[in-house]
Amino acid sequence: MAALANWISALGAASAALFVSAAMAPPAGATDRDTLVIGKSGDPDNLDPAVTVTNNSWTATYPAYERLVRFKVVDGKGSTNVEGELAKSWEASPDGKTYTFTLVDGHKFADGSPVDAAAVKFSFERVLKIKKGPYSIFEQIGAIDVVDPHTVRFTLKEPFAPFLSALVDDAGSIVDPNVMKHETNGDMGQAYLADHTMGSGAFEVTHWEKGQQIAMAPNPHYAGAKPAFKSVVIKIVKEASARRLQLEKGDLDIAEDIPIDQLKALKGEKGIKIVDEPSFQVTYLYLNNTHKPLDQVKVRQALSYAIDYKGIIDGILLGQAEQMRGAIPDGMWGHDPSVMQYSYDPQKAKALLAEAGVKNVKLGYLYAKTDPTWEPLGLVVQQALGAVGIKVDLQEFAYPTMRSKLNEGDFDIAVGNWTPDYADPSMFMNFWFDSKLKGLPGDRAFYSNPKVDELIRKATATVDQGERTKLYQEAQRIAVAEAPYILLYQRNYQFAMRDNVKGYVYNPMLLQIWNIASMSKE
Amino acid sequence: MSFANVVRRRLILLVFVVFGVSLVTFAISHMIPGDPARMMAGERASNEVVAHMRAVLGLDKPLAVQYLAYLRHLAQGDLGISILTQRPVLDDLVLFFPATIELAVAALLFAILLGVPLGVLSAIAKDRAVDQVTRTLSVTGISTPAFWLGLLLIYLFYGRLGIFPGSGRIDGPPPLHLTGFYTLDAALTGNWPALASALAHLFLPALTLGFVHLGIVTRQIRSAMLEVLQEDYVRTAKASGLSRAQIVLDHALRNALIPSVTMIGLAFGDLLYGAVLTETVFAWPGMGNYVVQSIAALDFPAIMGFTVVASTAYVLVNLAVDLTYMFLDPQIRAVG
Repeated sequence: MAALANWISALGAASAALFVSAAMAPPAGATDRDTLVIGKSGDPDNLDPAVTVTNNSWTATYPAYERLVRFKVVDGKGSTNVEGELAKSWEASPDGKTYTFTLVDGHKFADGSPVDAAAVKFSFERVLKIKKGPYSIFEQIGAIDVVDPHTVRFTLKEPFAPFLSALVDDAGSIVDPNVMKHETNGDMGQAYLADHTMGSGAFEVTHWEKGQQIAMAPNPHYAGAKPAFKSVVIKIVKEASARRLQLEKGDLDIAEDIPIDQLKALKGEKGIKIVDEPSFQVTYLYLNNTHKPLDQVKVRQALSYAIDYKGIIDGILLGQAEQMRGAIPDGMWGHDPSVMQYSYDPQKAKALLAEAGVKNVKLGYLYAKTDPTWEPLGLVVQQALGAVGIKVDLQEFAYPTMRSKLNEGDFDIAVGNWTPDYADPSMFMNFWFDSKLKGLPGDRAFYSNPKVDELIRKATATVDQGERTKLYQEAQRIAVAEAPYILLYQRNYQFAMRDNVKGYVYNPMLLQIWNIASMSKE
Repeated sequence: MSFANVVRRRLILLVFVVFGVSLVTFAISHMIPGDPARMMAGERASNEVVAHMRAVLGLDKPLAVQYLAYLRHLAQGDLGISILTQRPVLDDLVLFFPATIELAVAALLFAILLGVPLGVLSAIAKDRAVDQVTRTLSVTGISTPAFWLGLLLIYLFYGRLGIFPGSGRIDGPPPLHLTGFYTLDAALTGNWPALASALAHLFLPALTLGFVHLGIVTRQIRSAMLEVLQEDYVRTAKASGLSRAQIVLDHALRNALIPSVTMIGLAFGDLLYGAVLTETVFAWPGMGNYVVQSIAALDFPAIMGFTVVASTAYVLVNLAVDLTYMFLDPQIRAVG
């Protein structure tokens, strides 16, 4: 058996030698000036604009495609107003049902073929035919007609005022019709576009090592100014402290999704800057308006008064948030700074509960571990409602289970986050309060008020923004007073980057999306 | 019984194992409340779109019909489409499985190559300083959480010393795809820079994952050696004037290895499942992450696919263990 011993020692020596030689290979140092490396916590799921609905995927897809319109940049800041990108100009019919776009000349897809009206028609029809996640954003489209190669006309089923804002969504990306050459089993190229891009944007995805990194290179036919970066790498680094360490070492230029406490530690570190901006991501509690005693307005109001908003923001979010005022967040047009805001007032809460004549109330708080703040939030709610005599049970479920309970209305109180798909107050007002959308689609409190329904439906059918603002403000005053939700806070969006990275423009509608075409490094 | 017979019997058994596992997993993953159709259609999708999606996924059919359809596809090697990534599950598994196996093999090699000599040393130097140090090391190994050790190693070797990379499997383009194991592919294609990079990336995760098992292997070998060293044939060998090294390595170790093989085989199974934390810390694109993500999203085609492949791998590893047994112990070979 000397053979075995020899074998073991030989193998040991060989592997030791290999590891030593490996150890001598130099690790990657700071990145080149013409390369941008973005560190993300999760791998994109799918790159097809007609399939994916996650911002995490849009990091790669958004710069690879162009859309009819884009968000205006005003004084170096992103706004929620739109201007033409592939569209030179457009015209809406007075009844708000038809939109006719004239396209700019000279834009080409990465394979050199022109972006024309047929490509626009193809792209939207593709989203509608595939009928996956992004479908709902464009389900109001009735017909798309190519008037001539430079003109395309959309006819909506009903007037839909947010239509222009919706076109900025990733699902509005114009896809090269040549994708049909890659079609298998009638999938309209879904299998191919799942890990490729075929757009006219500044960059294209050249390689995707799943779970590791996505490599992007400039599109040679891009019509805009030549980007400063010759290469953009999106690296997947799941563990937050590892991301932070790689940013500090200069192996990453941008590190997203760094926990608040670690960001605090990074602040002021040499060579690193923190981007910290208000976002449209809001966290709120759904009160099931059909469950007793939450069907009483006074009880719901009492709950809204029982919560210590400032305590939650300071304690759980280390101050990186702002209490909501109304359903339309600050920064979005239609936001009403004069609408009533609930404040922490346990005495008033107790009085309202007494008026409503309820006692010995027991309620469940439904949550999942999807968002790390939901559990501490539950503990705070439990304590706060306990103080006014309501017993709260924390009920944790896996997210898919929680989701189905939300849809079926099988909860008393539940927690959730919401981000708008397009920059329009309807994303909050119509989704949250329209009694047609009960359950997951939007009305998660199962709230119903015919007057509110009427006002918000009228608002989406009206083209004039001033008129719409008035309608929304009126609806909001009623809805806030009836307190179907507990409106908690509007979170800040934060990430860290090396301070030699220039030209980033923050837009609250484009979280996890970097304007890599106009960014550079010193 | 011959090797061929054992192999044949086990492969037949494998079919039943896969069937059983698929049935149980299918039942569980379909009984948990949660609507995969809504997941695919988007959370805010209207009920009409969700209903359409449910029909597309075949989720509107009775459970038994769905299961039979699954089996029919499985027999053709089709594991379905992942709900989360919208890619064929088989493609995802082919992509992520080799990364996990590569990591597990490297960790196991580390544990065996270091653990066996340490165990032997510890046994022959029982209660002396070497033994004390080794035992401390193995207790430390068994009780150190992998994610903590991983972060510590990253901080030290990447953050402070800068001699190992901090995450991922490779810098630059991966080697030509032959087996999916980067180290093997790089070596086979003579791509030395890729080999060096792949090994450098493998080192810290393998050390982290292997450390726990180093403790287990060391303890196992030590106790088996202590037992064997008491045996009559060892005394006989001593009496007949064989050198100490010959006695320990040729007579004692071989017999001590037999019980250890089972344990190491089982440890390999553990490594496959236990790699999740290590994979997360080192951004190692393996199965662990894929499965955790799939379970969180109730992506049942992916969960089923993983379970089927993992149980197959488990049966095969057990087969390999038994064959090794037969190789090491002629008695077993004779009896079967």
